[in-house]
Formats: sequence, C-alpha cells, structure tokens
Amino acid sequence: MNNFQRIWTVFSKEVSDNMRDRRSILSALSSSLIGPFIMLLLIIILGRTLFADFQERTFDLPVVGEQYAPQLIAFLRQNGAVIQPGPADPEKAVRNGDLRVVLVIPGADYAENLSAGRPAPVQLVMDISRQSSSAVIERTRKLLEAYSSMVAVQRLMARGIDPVVVQPLQVELRDVSTPETQALLFLNMMPYFVVLVVFVGGMYVVIDATAGERERGSLEPLLINPVRRWELVLGKLFAGFPFAVLALSVTLGAFWVAFNLFPIEDYIGVQFKLSFSALAAIFLVSLPMILLASSLQMIVATATRSFKEAQTYTSLLALAPALPGLALAFMSVKPSLFNMLVPTFGQQLTINQFMRGEPVQVGLVLLNAAVTLIVAGALVVISVRLYEREQIILGPR
Amino acid sequence: MIQATNLRKTFGKITAVDDVSFEAPDGKITGLLGPNGAGKTTTLRMIYTLYQPDCGTAVVDGMNCAERPVEVRQAIGALPDSHGLYARLTSRENVRYYGQLHGMRGKALEDSIDELLDLLDMRDIEHRRTQGFSSGQRVKVAIARALVHRPPNVLLDEPTVGLDVMSTRAMRDFIRQLRDQGRCVVFSSHIMQEVSALCDNIIIIDRGRVVASGSPDDLLRQTGQADLEDAFVAAIGSEEGLVRA
Repeated sequence: MNNFQRIWTVFSKEVSDNMRDRRSILSALSSSLIGPFIMLLLIIILGRTLFADFQERTFDLPVVGEQYAPQLIAFLRQNGAVIQPGPADPEKAVRNGDLRVVLVIPGADYAENLSAGRPAPVQLVMDISRQSSSAVIERTRKLLEAYSSMVAVQRLMARGIDPVVVQPLQVELRDVSTPETQALLFLNMMPYFVVLVVFVGGMYVVIDATAGERERGSLEPLLINPVRRWELVLGKLFAGFPFAVLALSVTLGAFWVAFNLFPIEDYIGVQFKLSFSALAAIFLVSLPMILLASSLQMIVATATRSFKEAQTYTSLLALAPALPGLALAFMSVKPSLFNMLVPTFGQQLTINQFMRGEPVQVGLVLLNAAVTLIVAGALVVISVRLYEREQIILGPR
Repeated sequence: MIQATNLRKTFGKITAVDDVSFEAPDGKITGLLGPNGAGKTTTLRMIYTLYQPDCGTAVVDGMNCAERPVEVRQAIGALPDSHGLYARLTSRENVRYYGQLHGMRGKALEDSIDELLDLLDMRDIEHRRTQGFSSGQRVKVAIARALVHRPPNVLLDEPTVGLDVMSTRAMRDFIRQLRDQGRCVVFSSHIMQEVSALCDNIIIIDRGRVVASGSPDDLLRQTGQADLEDAFVAAIGSEEGLVRA
C-alpha cells in the first residue's frame, strides 16, 4: 500500500460521500450559473438603453406649442419623432421621470422671431442626471441643431452667400471602437465570475471534509488509521477538485451559450462570439486557482470551530480575490511583470485577454501559473501542519 | 500487549495525566476505571498516537507510540471518545472505508467485513445509511470499522456509554470474545459493576495517577474490602464521578 493508494482512498470516499449530498451538487451548480445569468440580465436591461441605435428607430417626443412651429414639427416627424401632446407642467413631468424630454415652443414669439431672422427661442426640458434619457436627449438636440443649420443655410443662400463660409471647421468623428469592444463592456465581468466560481465550486466539499468531519465526531477515529496526516489532507483537498471543475465547466459552457446562442444582437447591436479555443484556454488558466482556493479553504475550515463558521469565512474568502475582477470591468489594466505575480489577479487579466482575442504573453501566463501553484503549495504545507497539531481532534477553543 | 510507563500529559496549566503506568497483556481484559476527568481518555489518546506524552512512554507490541505511530496504528483497533459515522454511507461502506485505509482490498476485505457483521449481529443494518441509527447501532458500526483489519490490540473508550441494557450485555459478550481470541483488550469505564464483571486486570486512575492496580483479588487484598466495588471506592477515597450499576 503506497501513499498514492491511501490518498486515492480518502479522495474517492469524500467524492462519493459528497455526491450523495444534494447540497454539495447544488452549491457547485448554483454558483456556476449565477455569473452567466447576471450577465445576460444586464445585457437585456442595460443593453437597450445604452446601445440601441436610435437613429433608425422612431421615438416619442412630447411637444408643447406644436401649433406655433409647423415646419419644425414636420422636420422632426421626417426624422423619426412621433410628436405627442406636451404635458401641462413639462418641468414637473420630467423631474418625476414621467417623460424623458419635452420640447417647448413658447408661443407667438417663435414665429415672429423666425420670420424676422432673429434667434427663435425653443426650450428642451430634460434631466441630465437620468442616464437612461441621455440617448433621447442627445438625439433631440441633434435634430434641433440640424434644423437650425438647415434654416441658416437657406437664409445665407437667399442672401447670395455660400454657406460654406460659416463652416470653418469640418469635424469628422472616427470611432475606432468595433461593435465587439462595445460588447466587451459586459464581457469584462466574466473574469470576475470565473474566479468566483473557482472559489465557490469545491468549497462545500472541502468544508464538509474538514470542519464537517470534526463536527460529526468522525475525525478522531479517522486519525487512528495508519494514514499520514499529509495523505489525509491531500485526499480531502483533491476531493474539492471534481466539484470545482464541474462548476467551472458549467459556467464556461453557460457563457458560451449566452454569447453564441442567445440573440444578444437584439440588445446591444452586435453578436459577440466567444470561441471554443478561448474557453478552453480560460479553463486551463483557471485550474491552478482551484488548488489555491481549496488549500485556503482547508486552512480556514481547520482553524474554525464549526461547519457554519467555516462556511461564513470561506464565502467571504471567495469574494476577496474576485473583487479586482470587478474593477477590471471599468478600468483598463494591462498585464505586467508586477501584476502577473499576483495569484488570481494575473489570471483575471489573462482571461480578459483571451476573451478579447488579444495575444497573450505566454511567459507571463506561465509565471502567473507557477506563482499560483507555489503559493498554493505553501498553503498546503500550512494546512498539513495544522492537521498535525494535537488540537485538531477537538478544534480551536 | 500494551505497556504504559510514567505517562504524563499537560495542557497549559492543566495536568490531564500526571503519572500513569500499567501493562495490558494479550489474552486479558484490562480495565481503566476512574471518575470522569480522571485522565482515562488522555491516556488512551497517547496510546493511539493522537497525543505525544510530555514524558514517559507508551509501547504497543514493542513499538514506541511516539516514534512509530503509523505502525502502532496498524497494530491497534480503537473506539475513541468520539466515534461519529459517515451518515451518507451505509454501515458496510463505513467499515469498508477503514479497511481500505488499512490497505485491505478485494475478497480479504469483504470477508473480514462479513465476519464482523455476523459477530456483531448487524446484518439487518448492513446496507442502510447510518443516518438516524440508534446509539447501539452506531457503536456496532464504530467497533466493526475499528476491528476490520483484525488488530491484535483493542482499545475501547467507554464503549457502553449511552447503550441500553441489551446492547450493553451484547457488548460485554463481544469484549469477552475478543479476549478469548487472544487479543489484548483495554477498555475504560466509570461504571464499577461493568469493570468488576469483565476485567482480568483493573487499573484505577484518579486525577491523572494510578491509585491502585491488579487483579480483582489483588485489589480486595490491598484495600481490605470484601466487595470489589467497595474496594474501588476505598482506593479512590470517594465515590464521586463513579457509577455502581
């Protein structure tokens, strides 16, 4: 009987034992579906407001004093505005959020000024702090400006002046963002969810095999078997692996479904493709983190008094390494020698690059994996030391 | 064969075991009698290698427990203070796991399990998950898994605690069978009647020290009592923490 057989015995017992526990499976699977689910939800909710292409659609525009500016109204209608009767109190309606924007044409002044060639006042009532209204506001302003310059051109031409003289600058906007990079705003959250699932996937099994074993009173008799403590620790540690790998695979699979089969295009205007090879690369990059997560959880579960306490701390533990990933969604950080030395953070940067289809620096990725494995190895040594202490039977007091 | 010599174990300022020496020969039942908190469990834990003694030695079949713990654990079968089971595994699976940890495989393992299941009369619960077992059923499983590798030395820490009358009687019969197979049996108890009914050798422990030891006859002679239970009380100087029946 060699070391490997004993580790295997402990491992297979913990796996088959936990396979019979619905909670282990549920906790692995539920955690793995949360990420893709939240992302789809955000795409559906935010996608329309942020990315919908308003130029090609009609929009409602409440107007007060419609009758004073028939030409302007006709112009707006031509350009997609569906004119609605304005409210009695436009400011209140906009402030309350009942309407996103209201165009006010203040009575006879308008026609008088316009025909006299003076600036004709119109008001746009809006609430700039409402993010969801920004597209409508922007579009209405653009239309008003377009109408304004159209009238200006007509006036200049009527006076025999080339309209070009009042156009000293010709501003040309060249947006280099591809449809994909816009979609990446959502995709940027993916590394966060990947790390989260790595830390949650096998958590329940590791806690059950350590804190749970002691709480059930089965640890003391187990330790009287001719098994070395490090063999026990490894067997229990590895038992979390299949569950974490399962959770990770389900997550990546769900992301694949979300991006490749779900009609994202309807919501953000582009269909983003996540290639199978990118997913495979992300999977491989995540593997060393599983060992890191399990060994951290092992230490916490050994040092805490009860299953519940261990569960509380390991849940918090899952959030900590994942948080930088959330920040990555809003900031642009490039992999460097320094940040790739940080376990979990380096992986999130790498996952981000795989997602974007950017070239990765293989050396840095390998360095990152090596550092992660070394740190995990050190943590395994610590958990073995904890297991070798006499207090292990009774737990900390 | 188990020999304890001047065992001592302290936890911070508390001295759990002060000075315990005894010898438990093969083919005999050796009882550790003492009130709760006397140091019985700590003594046993030093023998089954979970605690390192501060000084003194525990030796099993010639092997020092502190120096060769893995070999000692192969030579003993123990029912420790806590003996929780795996609730999602059946009785047989619980026993099999321990056999596998001892390196047993295949037919030899299954035969040994069958033998113990018959001996402990637990065929009816063989394929049931241990969730919700009675304390008698639980102890049976715990003993079966401790003995699956057929150890020559058996240590039982308060094996009858929480058992009903029938289970207790069955347990005593079982302990006698182990002795008759020529094994070294050590068990601890705070129940005087149980110790006097079962033991060939009795070690009386109080406050971490051996206060008297020997065969039942020896103890009667040493204390000048006619009744063994009175002899126990006389040796300890108090009946506190002991149970007569």
